[in-house]
Amino acid sequence: MTRLDTALGLLVPAFLVVIVGVLAATASRANEIHYLSALVAVAMVVAIYVFVGNSGVLSFGQISFVAVGAFAAGVLTVPSQSKSFVLPDLFPFLRDTTVGNLASLGIAAAVGGAFAFLVGMPLMRLSGLAAGIATFAVLEVTHNLLREWTSIGPGATTLSLVPETTDALQATLGALAVVLVAWFYSLSRPGRLLRATREDAAAAQAVGVSVHRQRLGAFTLSGALAGFAGGLYVHMLGSITTEQVYLELTFLTLAMLVVGGIASLWGAVVGALAVSGLDSLLAKAEDGSFVWDAPSGTRLVVVGAMMALVLVLRPAGITGGRELSLPRRKSE
Amino acid sequence: MSDPLLELEGVEVRYGTVPALRDLSFAVVPGEIVGLIGPNGAGKSTTLHAVMGALPLNTGSIRLAGQPLAGLAPEQVARAGIALVPEGRRIYGGFSVEENLRLGLAARQEDGADEALAEVLSLFPVLAEYRKRPAGALSGGQQQQLAIGRALVAGPRLLLLDEPSLGLAPAVVDTVFAALATIRERGVTVLLVEQRARRTVAFCDRTHVLANGRLRTTLAPADADDTRALVAAYLA
Amino acid sequence: MSLVAAVDAQTLVDAVGLGAVYALMAVGIGLVFGVLRLVNFAYGQLVMAGAYTLAFTSAWPAAASIAACFAVVLALSLALERSVFRPLRTQSPAVMLVTTFAIAFLLQSVALVLDVRDGTIGEAARSLGGLNQAVSVGGVDVRKVTIVAVVVAATALGLLALLLERTTIGLHMRAAAADFRTARLLGVQADRVIGLAVLLSGLLAATVAVILTVQSPLVAPDFALKETIVVLVGVVVGGIDRLWTATLGGFAIGFASGVINGALPTDKSVFLPSAVFALVILVLLLRPAGLFARGPAVERV
Repeated sequence: MTRLDTALGLLVPAFLVVIVGVLAATASRANEIHYLSALVAVAMVVAIYVFVGNSGVLSFGQISFVAVGAFAAGVLTVPSQSKSFVLPDLFPFLRDTTVGNLASLGIAAAVGGAFAFLVGMPLMRLSGLAAGIATFAVLEVTHNLLREWTSIGPGATTLSLVPETTDALQATLGALAVVLVAWFYSLSRPGRLLRATREDAAAAQAVGVSVHRQRLGAFTLSGALAGFAGGLYVHMLGSITTEQVYLELTFLTLAMLVVGGIASLWGAVVGALAVSGLDSLLAKAEDGSFVWDAPSGTRLVVVGAMMALVLVLRPAGITGGRELSLPRRKSE
Repeated sequence: MSDPLLELEGVEVRYGTVPALRDLSFAVVPGEIVGLIGPNGAGKSTTLHAVMGALPLNTGSIRLAGQPLAGLAPEQVARAGIALVPEGRRIYGGFSVEENLRLGLAARQEDGADEALAEVLSLFPVLAEYRKRPAGALSGGQQQQLAIGRALVAGPRLLLLDEPSLGLAPAVVDTVFAALATIRERGVTVLLVEQRARRTVAFCDRTHVLANGRLRTTLAPADADDTRALVAAYLA
Repeated sequence: MSLVAAVDAQTLVDAVGLGAVYALMAVGIGLVFGVLRLVNFAYGQLVMAGAYTLAFTSAWPAAASIAACFAVVLALSLALERSVFRPLRTQSPAVMLVTTFAIAFLLQSVALVLDVRDGTIGEAARSLGGLNQAVSVGGVDVRKVTIVAVVVAATALGLLALLLERTTIGLHMRAAAADFRTARLLGVQADRVIGLAVLLSGLLAATVAVILTVQSPLVAPDFALKETIVVLVGVVVGGIDRLWTATLGGFAIGFASGVINGALPTDKSVFLPSAVFALVILVLLLRPAGLFARGPAVERV
């Protein structure tokens, strides 16, 4: 890959993100949310890609980190007057602390990363099916704890009154930041070492690459980025429930990654934007504000069908799973 | 010369963009034992797998008694009367010897399964002895006998063997070749892929030499001791 | 209060019943995995489809309703095999897993659309409600359906074992599960073996649908989703590579869930999923190939 190709690998996704950001800034109030969710989706999916795409290990648990990030950012930014009233069982430290918007995003990233590190330490030794199930178990445990442990959050109730600070600018910058970090990571030595293990783990190990360490690094980074995305998410919605960061979101983000192309950064971005766009379109059709009326529930059907179709017909995804490169003249 | 039982014409097989077999043409006449030798990576195993329908042909044709095998699934080729003794034997270690043999009956088209089983057990007495034991308990040479027996039980017209002497001690290799001689006497046509050049050339009616996916030359048993010819054929 | 003291006969009986149902599902998943090397995330949707059929045919005589259930589940299984599993055969396990995950969501969403037309989510399946009554056996209340579940599971597993060990097609299936390529080269017909595995898997799903609707008559699109997830986890933990370890894993996780659920004090039992899944992670770390798998846990990096 030439230098130009490498640069393109960042510029094209970044450009797409900026376009959506501009659309978000200029859209009507009703439509703004769709563009914002597309941008937040980009952040989430790229975060997932950082681990799954580079390591080749399928993880069903990345949304756990989005969840802890979202709840951390949410709980810490709910105005303090309301907190002791709405969330009476909270740990005193959580109840009495309130931080600003940017700080909350930072904390979300930190919490996501720390949680990922903790979980990843033991789990990164696993591969294949075992890794899939183990990471899924992490998702389940996270969901269960967030739902039932009322000392750390709202439990089964909705956490509301979260300041809606994610506007077009913040969403765009946030998504760009995640894309940038992911791109840097791909080019970095750890990133390349990890991709070596993806191709042939035994061979990589034989030349001294510590598979466990590289995977843990990517997993932690992925967790931090996912936590950050969770922070953006909660500040976009203004509220959060445990069900919003559970199976359906896991499915959607995985669908976005797979449809775009699981092994490339721009695949992650393209997939996120494409599926998000489709999802928004269908959501509007569902509540009748679009050209045709669709029965409620159709959007999941169509997204599910699309994902299944892409997987069956073109498993490498829209982008073919490879990083961007300029068409080359065949010089054989 | 009677009509060929197996006929390859202009066969080309690729792994992705890399050609493994190029313009391969040869025939095997009923009752013959034909050998196929060559250096590693020459395409010998590939040839057998192409015949079995396990690999798609880029171009060319493979015919069994005049009928094209193109597009047939491996199990259909097996049922058409070709049996493969795979490289590394590929025995089901967890199953008993008898179950392994019975598995070979899957391709059998005619009646007489019990007779075929009895015949194989008499051909390889050690299999009768270990009948109910797990196949994984057999030694390498015994497993090779099981693999051959498993192929014979199907009553094939053509028997393909992929490096049967691989990993076996010389004394055991003798047993294998002795078995092949008996098989030949019973009128089964054989295509034998081997690494041991000299022995194969001496044993078979004709031996083709494959190198880099191409047929280089054909040797007769008389050439077995002509080291120069052998080396030249390999390095051509 | 120790765990052992908290577990009484009632809990054990219920846990065995749960384990039996999970074992049936585990076999359904394990059979398909054996021949296709495909983890069918959408297995629960087959059960759901059966349950919905039972619900929509509630007014019919029980036998007809059950027959319809079996017919629908079998048809759906075969359709899935043909349209999704077959093209996916050459893909990596990750792609296959994600695809069946997608199919699971797709089918669930289709069910949602179909169900919601009458305004509410959920249909009731009333056919065999009588089985939900309990009989007293030695001082313990055992629901009839639990007995049915255990008997059916034992019978089904027994018949399956006979099929696999004593018949030719069973031999072919075992060979295909152990080494499909060689089996085909020996003449084993891939389509037949796969078709039979899918058929049996469907029969088991339909059976599970019947048993589960007795215990939980309200059918919603996420019917059996939780159970499927738990069973899948149990199967992988038990060892998905071989049918009997997969089945044992399914039974074990069902039994363990039942026991833990019964043993935990009520206010703490909301944390049951965490306990179970934490246990799963632990087991997978110690033995990635499965609890009952042969040999040391050699990590296929």
